[in-house]
Formats: sequence, structure tokens, C-alpha cells
Amino acid sequence: MSRLELIGINKQFGGQVAVRDFNLTVEDGELVSFLGPSGCGKTTTLRITAGFESPDSGSVVVDGRDMTDLSTNKRGMGMVFQGYALFPNMTAIENVEYGLAVRKRPLAERRAKVSELLDLFGLAHVGKSYPHQMSGGQQQRVALARAVAVQPGVLLLDEPLSAVDAKVREELRTEIRRMQVQLGITTILVTHDQSEALSISDRVVVMNKGGIEEIGTPAQVYAEPQSAFTAGFIGAMNEIPVRVVSGAAGLVERGGRRVTAPGAVGLTDGELALLLVRPELLEPLGPSSASLNGDLKLTGRVEVQTFLGATTRLLLRESAATSDGQSAPAAARLLAIDVPSSTAGRWPAGSELDVRVPVGGSRVIADHVAEAPRPS
Amino acid sequence: MSNPSIGGEATEEALEALVTAHVDATARRRAKRGPNTPVWTVLVLICAAVYFLLPLYATAAFGFSTGKHFTLQPLWDGLGDEGFQTSLTLSLTYSVVTTILALAVVAPTAYLVELRFPRLRSTVEFLTILPFVIPPIILAVGLSSVYGINSPVNLISSDWAPVLLYGGYFVLTLPFVFRAIDNALRAVDVRTLSDASASLGASPARTFLRVIVPSISLGLVSGALLAFTTAMGEFTLAALLGYPTFPVYLLNVNGYEPRMGEALVLVSFLITWAGVIALAAIARRAPGTKVVRAVPM
Repeated sequence: MSRLELIGINKQFGGQVAVRDFNLTVEDGELVSFLGPSGCGKTTTLRITAGFESPDSGSVVVDGRDMTDLSTNKRGMGMVFQGYALFPNMTAIENVEYGLAVRKRPLAERRAKVSELLDLFGLAHVGKSYPHQMSGGQQQRVALARAVAVQPGVLLLDEPLSAVDAKVREELRTEIRRMQVQLGITTILVTHDQSEALSISDRVVVMNKGGIEEIGTPAQVYAEPQSAFTAGFIGAMNEIPVRVVSGAAGLVERGGRRVTAPGAVGLTDGELALLLVRPELLEPLGPSSASLNGDLKLTGRVEVQTFLGATTRLLLRESAATSDGQSAPAAARLLAIDVPSSTAGRWPAGSELDVRVPVGGSRVIADHVAEAPRPS
Repeated sequence: MSNPSIGGEATEEALEALVTAHVDATARRRAKRGPNTPVWTVLVLICAAVYFLLPLYATAAFGFSTGKHFTLQPLWDGLGDEGFQTSLTLSLTYSVVTTILALAVVAPTAYLVELRFPRLRSTVEFLTILPFVIPPIILAVGLSSVYGINSPVNLISSDWAPVLLYGGYFVLTLPFVFRAIDNALRAVDVRTLSDASASLGASPARTFLRVIVPSISLGLVSGALLAFTTAMGEFTLAALLGYPTFPVYLLNVNGYEPRMGEALVLVSFLITWAGVIALAAIARRAPGTKVVRAVPM
């Protein structure tokens, strides 16, 4: 329905940079997530888009129309708030109807629209309930219905699922996506929950310290993170210390073994670097599979097994033989390896394990920039 | 029982009633919890009951008697007295106007402070408690020297005279009204509700009237009751500035017809009680007054 452009947005609060150089175009009908840790500026950017805050510089443009100086109530955007923000003195029906009443739509049209939305969100039976009589999930559905009732050009969702419990959260996020696709509303979703962002977005904007770290499809930001921050923030990531032998040839060394890592091309000779590998890409080596084919091998002792459903995560403490003092903190790091749960029984806690580290497709970053937060 | 400032008493009684209601609720909860009520709790309750009921009884005993036996004659005399009717009408008018004025000024102010000017909050709070620090007598003296007959702005003997008492009463009710409304505002998430309303296209005025006011209705009702009883019972300002309000009339009556005065004291007490009961009824019926907050589950 609408194309939203955020152009060169900057915002400071008392000298603290909240948002810097934010540029983004959200295409018609697209769902874009702002993902980042708290304080990264994602909510401020959303509030600027909604008109609750005004940017120090930059503009908010919808379908070519500059909205920067318009007050919130004239922007025609729908918004869903973290704490629902339902009007406590109104029933579900009255809440959903509010925006239509403000727009002075005829009563018959209002009633029809409200009952259509209550049906769409499975709320018909709580229409006459007040917010305090509803469950968290129902309240959030009412909040969604209320926001889309006015057929907004742009829908803004501010951590909409953070207040509901885990089971409802998964249900609701699918529902949000279904509704968003069905109604074709251009949507921004602010979240700190990566699984939420990855599961329902067309694109993800990874934010850090007020700026855009990178923009990409969920698959891109997961599989090919462009920055150390993204790599560390999204999903679990192993950081395996290596030393760069030749930045020109992409040659790295670890435990006396030299391998070619295309990701290391361009790094400085002799510096310490980190090889970034997802837990599911590490492969346990049996006695038979001896050939490493240009990959690295690590050996360690399984400390903990964590059952994740289809897969089980093994946390591996590297034995001194392979970490060999090359990078002292390396020994302190646990390595995460995901294996199919059906085979996890082979490596109980305490057992020794050899692991193949794929080098070819992995990113390598210089060690000093690796200040990404650990995945929680 | 010769205290003429029955209204002041009435205000206290109103507050007392609210406190008592709370105590009652607590007691009921206790009673549910266990059958053993400590002896001293009962003792305290009895003492409190005696403390509050004995004066009432004494008032009634004096007002409804000829000195030897029971009679309602002083009450009929009082109710039929022209002074009673005019002074009560005057007091009711002043109280209603003061209440409306106080709500109309304080509610939007408190809302704006909460929403837009949180930094002004401590200043506003300080201003509203000034009447607690500066006694009414100072206010009366100040008003009469600034707007009195010797002043170039002589309001007292002009047609604008009522404005003086409205202003004075407004100031006196500020602490109660602001507290009541501010507490109610802070119990709801004013900012998010206002944001939500604005995002749906509502103007600030609409947001205030349709979303905020209904959400703080309880605070508005108790603020109104406190303002009303304060104005109804105010004696000092009215007496010193020369307004024949109900409390002033009661003082005079006590001078020449004490039994009638005491009978009327009971009448004003009943009026206050009717107000408190009405408040309780409204409070119980107000829909959606339960505060809703997002509770992470």
C-alpha cells in the first residue's frame, strides 16, 4: 500500500547518539525488522517514523510525501505497542472501533469493519470484554486489530510479542505475518529477538549503537554476516582463533597446520584472526573419516550436552594439544557443535571428540574487531 | 460540641469514611485468613468507634432534646429557617463551582505535566501543597488586603465578589484534587495510551477526553468529593471575607439557638455521608477502572 523511506535520520538525546545516518527504504507490502540489542536505536527510529520523536536531521517519506513535520495523528500509520496500550475503559470492540470513530466513518461501516477484524484475529467471543478480562495473547490481538482497522499505509510494531509467553509468541508471530501478507501492509517490526526477526521478515536491519550494521534477507544475515557484530548477535557462532600467514594468499595457520581460507584474504600477515563457524557446520570426525581436505581439525572433551529438539548441542572444551598456546584465551572458549539428536548418544559428557572445521566458506575477521556480544 | 466549623469536621469525616472503608476491607481479608482476631485489634476498633461515635451521639442527644425529653422540633425549626436555606444554597453553589473549576484546571494540568513537562512536576507538586503550609487565615488576610475595600482593586464590594471566594476555595482544594488526580494518572500508562490514541488519528483534546478522563474516573470522583467537602466546610475564608456560607451561619445559630444548630450539624453530617456513599457506588460501578499493565508472563 505504501513505500516508506527513512532518509539520513540522526537523533541525539542530551549528547548521546541514539540514531545515526539511518537510511532505509521499505517497499510496498514489505515486512522489515529492526533487530539489535537494547539501546541500539531501533525503538527510537520507530518512534521517529511514527512521529513521537522528531529527528535532529533527516526525513520520513511515505509514497513520496514528506511526513517529517506532521504530528503523529496526521500520519495515518498504525502502531502496536510493547505493553499493548489498549484503552482500559473500552471493550475490545470499542478499542478496535476507536480509530474509525476518530475518522467519523458511518456507524454501519464501523461495525462491519470491526466484526470482520475480530473474526480475522479470532476475537469474536471477547468483543464485549474489557482489556483486564482478556489474556495477554488476546490483548495483543486486539491491539493488532485496532492498529490495522484504520487501514494504515504503514504498520509499526514495537516489540509486539515481548509481553506474551513463549508459546503464544510463536503462534502470534506467524499470525502477524499471515495478516501482514494478507492485507499487504508495509510493516516495520522492532525486536531484540532474532528468531522473531528471522522467521517472519522479508528483510532484517541489524542495528548496533544507533547505526545500521547491515541490511539483508534473513538468510543473508544468518549465513553471510557482513560484520563481526552481526555474526555474534545472530545465532550462535564459534570464533576459532587462527594466525594469518599470508593475507595475500588467504593462508592461515592453527596448531601447526596451514590451510587456505578465502575469507582471510586482505588481512595483515602475522596478525591473530577469528574463523567464524556456525555450530551446525562443525562436523564430528569418526576414526574412518581421516581426510581433512584442506579443513582444520580440533580435538576436545564434551562438557555439556544441550537437547534442542531435532539437534543436540555439544559444548566442547578444546584440549591443550590443538590449542597449543597459540592464543591463550582460546582454551577458555567453549566450542558449540550441533549434531542430530539421534547420534548425540555417541558423545556423552566427558568423551573425547575430533571435529572438522570447514575453512573454505567461513568468514575470517581480525581479532581486535571481534567485540560482538556473545549470543545469549 | 460547640465547634461551629462543622464543615471542617465533615471533610475529616469524609476522609475518615474512606480510611474506614479501607480498614474494613483489610479486616475482612484478615477475617478470611483466620478465625483468630487478636484481642488488641478488637480493642483498637472499639476505642476508635467510641472516639468517632460519641461526639455524634452527644450532638444528637443535645440537638434532639428539650433538655428533658426527646424532640425533633429543633430540626424542623432549623430546616424551616430562612437563613439555613439561603446559606446552604450559597455553600452548595460555591462548592459545586469550586469543584468544577478545580477539576477543569487540575486534570488537564496534571495530564500535561505527566506527559509533556515531567521536569515541572516537582514545582507543580510544591505549588499544590502550599495551602498546607500557609493557613487559610493568611490567605484571608492577604486576599482582603489585596482585593479589600482599601485596595485600588476593590473586588469585595463589587459584583465580582464571588470570584474572590472561588479563587480562595480553588487554592484550598488544590492539594486534595491534585493528589487524587495525579495518583490516578500515575496508575495508568498515560504516555503509551496517549501515543496509541495519537497513532489512531486522535487529536490531543480527544485523547484527553475519550481515553485519559475515563481511565482516571476514580481519581476524578474522589478529587471532586474532596474538593466539594473542603469547600462546603470552609469557615475561615468565608467568615473573614464576609460571606454568609453554611458554616458561618451555623456559628451564628449556635450563638442564639444552640439546639437547632446541633440538629443542623447532624444534617450536614448526613449530607456528607450521602456523598461518600455515592462515591463508593460510582467507584464500584465504573467499568474498566482496574489498572491494566503489561505483565511479562
